[in-house]
Amino acid sequence: MPRRFGPYGGAYVPETLVPALTELEATWRSARRDPAFRSELRRLSTTLGGRPTPLYFAENLTRRARGAEIWLKREDLLHGGAHKFNNALGQGLLARRMGKPRLIAETGAGQHGVATAMIGAALRLETEVYMGEVDMERQRPNVERMRLLGARVIPVSTGSRTLKDAINAALRDWITNVRTTHYLLGSAVGPHPFPSIVADFQSVIGREIRTQSRRAFGRLPDLAVACVGGGSNAIGTFHPLLRTPVELWGVEAGGPRGRSRGAASLTRGAPGILHGSLSYVLQDRDGQVAATESISAGLDYAGVGPEHAWLRDSGRVRYLAVHDDEALRAFHWLAEDEGILPALEPAHAIFAAVGAARRRPRSQRIVVTLSGRGDKDLEVVTHAAR
Amino acid sequence: MPYLLVDRRRSRSLKRTATALRDGGARAVELGFPFSDPIADGPVLEAAHDRALRAGTSWADLLSACRTVSPILPTAVMTYGNPLWHRGLSTALRELAHAGATGLIVPDLPLEESPAFRAASRAAGLSLVLLAAPGVTRARLERIAQSSQGFLYLVSRYGTTGSQGGAASVDLRPLVSAAHRAAPELPVLLGFGVRDRASAAAAMATGADGIIVGSALEERIARGDSPEALTDWVRSLSVTSRRR
Repeated sequence: MPRRFGPYGGAYVPETLVPALTELEATWRSARRDPAFRSELRRLSTTLGGRPTPLYFAENLTRRARGAEIWLKREDLLHGGAHKFNNALGQGLLARRMGKPRLIAETGAGQHGVATAMIGAALRLETEVYMGEVDMERQRPNVERMRLLGARVIPVSTGSRTLKDAINAALRDWITNVRTTHYLLGSAVGPHPFPSIVADFQSVIGREIRTQSRRAFGRLPDLAVACVGGGSNAIGTFHPLLRTPVELWGVEAGGPRGRSRGAASLTRGAPGILHGSLSYVLQDRDGQVAATESISAGLDYAGVGPEHAWLRDSGRVRYLAVHDDEALRAFHWLAEDEGILPALEPAHAIFAAVGAARRRPRSQRIVVTLSGRGDKDLEVVTHAAR
Repeated sequence: MPYLLVDRRRSRSLKRTATALRDGGARAVELGFPFSDPIADGPVLEAAHDRALRAGTSWADLLSACRTVSPILPTAVMTYGNPLWHRGLSTALRELAHAGATGLIVPDLPLEESPAFRAASRAAGLSLVLLAAPGVTRARLERIAQSSQGFLYLVSRYGTTGSQGGAASVDLRPLVSAAHRAAPELPVLLGFGVRDRASAAAAMATGADGIIVGSALEERIARGDSPEALTDWVRSLSVTSRRR
């Protein structure tokens, strides 16, 4: 398991956390070779999570684009309504294996918080979730869901009061309670071994895409598209396809039009150290991490997973940014054409995919990872329509 | 050793503050550079970082603070890794050394990630101080002590800076003596949660060579304590060292 992806990654953390990261890596190494662990993961993925999720041919959306076929990998149908379940379940089982009775998590859009709360309840682990006050306001339904699932939601009122600050708060909690607590980090970010563990648990997405596309149209797709905040659904989509000829696109949040850099770390940031790893970071000239702006709470983050930084530099994956208004348009397309309300995060990917489909022949196939459903975003979307 | 967070609004009083600390018995000073995401810092310093950045504190202010303070007391700079990385390690560290700093402390830099920083520090003529924390294995502590320069910064508890509680559960004496055995010439300084005479005495009772006080000092400066009051307070913390 790599500590670095090219020059990126590493574990830039206070020394207090080093023993916990070492223990986590060792536990994970032994767990992934342990047939009992793997069969428990598979059993709960299927019977609690609802895997495999379908690969759906979006015929009407394809007709709108008048070009390549658009297929949706339906992670929005997973338990909890997003791909976050895959990682929360995996790490929850690791926490139990380490004998840690308490889980903490950060959440932006609330999807990872909900997934962690569900797993905490199912595995009988005490769960506390840090969430920025701005995000609590704009993703209120998820705050209620977490509470109903038995988790304590701790408002974070420092800094920009969004995902970045929730991660800071969770890291501080972990530094203090590291002996009894597992930090269930929700994205492919953070210090080693988190980016690799999260990629491992999310790779089920790409593995199923591989099998299902062969079954559905007899070959791999020409292009796979996923949205990138921290980048967990994207890395899960890409990993099993890296050594294939499939073109890969990661779509970042471009934020509102104008001078804002949005939350597009890979397309508009520079290398830097944030939350334990070296990757691309939106920052000012003194290396202070910049405030980000995006209509989607889940993509509203100044950093990005270190493996994405390397995939960008190496040219294997193309990263692009989509603006708020474009994501909103894609949200309505999918709602009206297919009867699916996507989360605003994958709506960014949908927009990019429709654009790609328009420029490609009908013989090509594009798979978009629909990483979550949009119920949580109704307030934001209806507000934007006014 | 007191910790002072660099804050543009305090630049005019900095000289007086540093002198007051020296007069109270401080042997060196740690100048903190504010960072947007100070994950090792507790509420008091986190808020101070935030205020300093809102006031526009920049890298240039850090260099100017080094120039002000270093003639008064030996000066180590504490900064999170990113501002150094973003500026370019060798440029950043050379600038700090030219401004009079002699030591560098990076709270989010564990042993494994330190080689690049150590090479740049050596080239610039700075001592790279490493941190050790409770929960460290004996073997790792020895490697950290042998790699640290200037002194060893021993984090005294599970927690962020300024945290109270959790101290009693960790017996630091074995860690301090193991560090002394591994690197006999290297002073061991205890930090995180040392805030008054009692905690200072408890810290020194572990056999440590000194203490680092940050959050408690920040509270006093923020509420406007006079230089005389700071001198008296530092004096009240002064406790005799076992070794020097």
